[in-house]
Amino acid sequence: MMTNKNRIKRFTPVQRLFHVLLMLSFMVLGASGLSRLYINTGWGKWLAGLFGGYESALLVHTYTGIFLITGFFVHILYLMAKINPKTIIGPDSLLPRGEDIKQFFSHIGWFLGFRESPRFDRWGYWEKFDYWAVFWGMVIIGITGLIMAYPLVATRYMPGWGLNVALWVHRIEAFLAMAHVFIIHFFIAHLRRHNFPMDRAMFEGSTDLEAVRSEKPAWIDRLKKQGDYENLLVRESQPQQKAIFFVFGYIMVAIGLFLIAGALVNWQRVIW
Amino acid sequence: MKRRNNTFTLIISILLLSGGFLLFPAKRFAQEEAASKIMRYKQYEVSTGYYEEYEAKPGKQLPFVEIPGVRHGLFPYSPAAASVRNPSRLADAHQGIRFYDRRRCEDCHIEQTKNIHITRANLTCRQCHGGEPIASSEHYFSPMNPIRRHAYVCSKCHEGASASYAGYVIHAPNPFSASTLKSFPVLFYAAWIMVAIAVLTFVVFLPHTILWGLRELLLKK
Repeated sequence: MMTNKNRIKRFTPVQRLFHVLLMLSFMVLGASGLSRLYINTGWGKWLAGLFGGYESALLVHTYTGIFLITGFFVHILYLMAKINPKTIIGPDSLLPRGEDIKQFFSHIGWFLGFRESPRFDRWGYWEKFDYWAVFWGMVIIGITGLIMAYPLVATRYMPGWGLNVALWVHRIEAFLAMAHVFIIHFFIAHLRRHNFPMDRAMFEGSTDLEAVRSEKPAWIDRLKKQGDYENLLVRESQPQQKAIFFVFGYIMVAIGLFLIAGALVNWQRVIW
Repeated sequence: MKRRNNTFTLIISILLLSGGFLLFPAKRFAQEEAASKIMRYKQYEVSTGYYEEYEAKPGKQLPFVEIPGVRHGLFPYSPAAASVRNPSRLADAHQGIRFYDRRRCEDCHIEQTKNIHITRANLTCRQCHGGEPIASSEHYFSPMNPIRRHAYVCSKCHEGASASYAGYVIHAPNPFSASTLKSFPVLFYAAWIMVAIAVLTFVVFLPHTILWGLRELLLKK
């Protein structure tokens, strides 16, 4: 059975691979890190049990973190190979523009019913924020994590009290990252009506054409003007594939909500 | 298609390479041998507490030299006055405390029990501070003296601990309390700046996302 080309290409397979690796390592890091922090609660002990206990949770956390940092460097190499100087500034780039700030405020105006929704181009400001939040988070959490993973090496180049600072910066940034991903990112990608029950773009590589037309009309107009529009249209993937994306996505949402709920419920019992 | 394969091969090979790199253990710098006397002499002094073959004792006292925050009265460091005025240099830090042998460490040092080494690694005070008499940390024969504590205390568990490594603040203060601003300002500012970034992110994006969800819910399709 042939279906119409009713979807538009949005992410390449390499970009989707990056996202899946990031997701998996983020979840392992979040769970193992929380299990260490909450070790004196029953919830934390159970969580640490999944990784083989307090000590091995640290081992898993460290090596997953190093894997993620490696992935970050690979991503930077990928960027350097991929960056096109002609489009580095412009609507196809993820670099923030003055337009994004304007759209942010007019979007809020639309939420409140004051004005029309802004005509977004390829990347909305919230998508750019998600991308750069991971970027800045990786730098902060990666550096402090490496400092604590190799304290003997690190203290050759900095005083020992830097380890105290690194520990707290790592903790707070981790909470910020988890809360942002598990509440805001998941809500935007799953729960809002536009995407409900799930925005499959990052897994399938393409988005529903109707949805893009209503939310990102400027992108469609620009593609038509440039003549690239027809080349980007693709067919929907098989139902089996969609089922896999759906199950995988919702498992991740469930894990994320479980972690954030457990962390909040047991908040008072942590001995920092 | 060809180009995509190349990118995949590049990524996989870098991942494999970095995986191989992880197999090697971290270098233990504190176990390095002092290869050159000229280059290493100062490091050797700092890390062992030995100057030539004699152990270092406090230098000569300068009664009229003011040390901000430390000096109390005239002759602060005279050998006799030191034991009276400066409890951080005693051979027995608890000398003269009544009913000392009936007391537990935490009766007086309750704040010092709240740290990762005790709550997470289940250490007891004695495992680092040693048996009686417990010398002041700056007493020149104390194992806790910063010139040698990394070798005598920390490296009991942390193999290869260096003097700088031992600068980790074991009895870390609560980073958010006002007193930390004075005792450990870098920690105080770092923690509060991070909290400010987190709060700012949520102050902007939480109402934003809730409003967005509501707006789309009420949207007429």
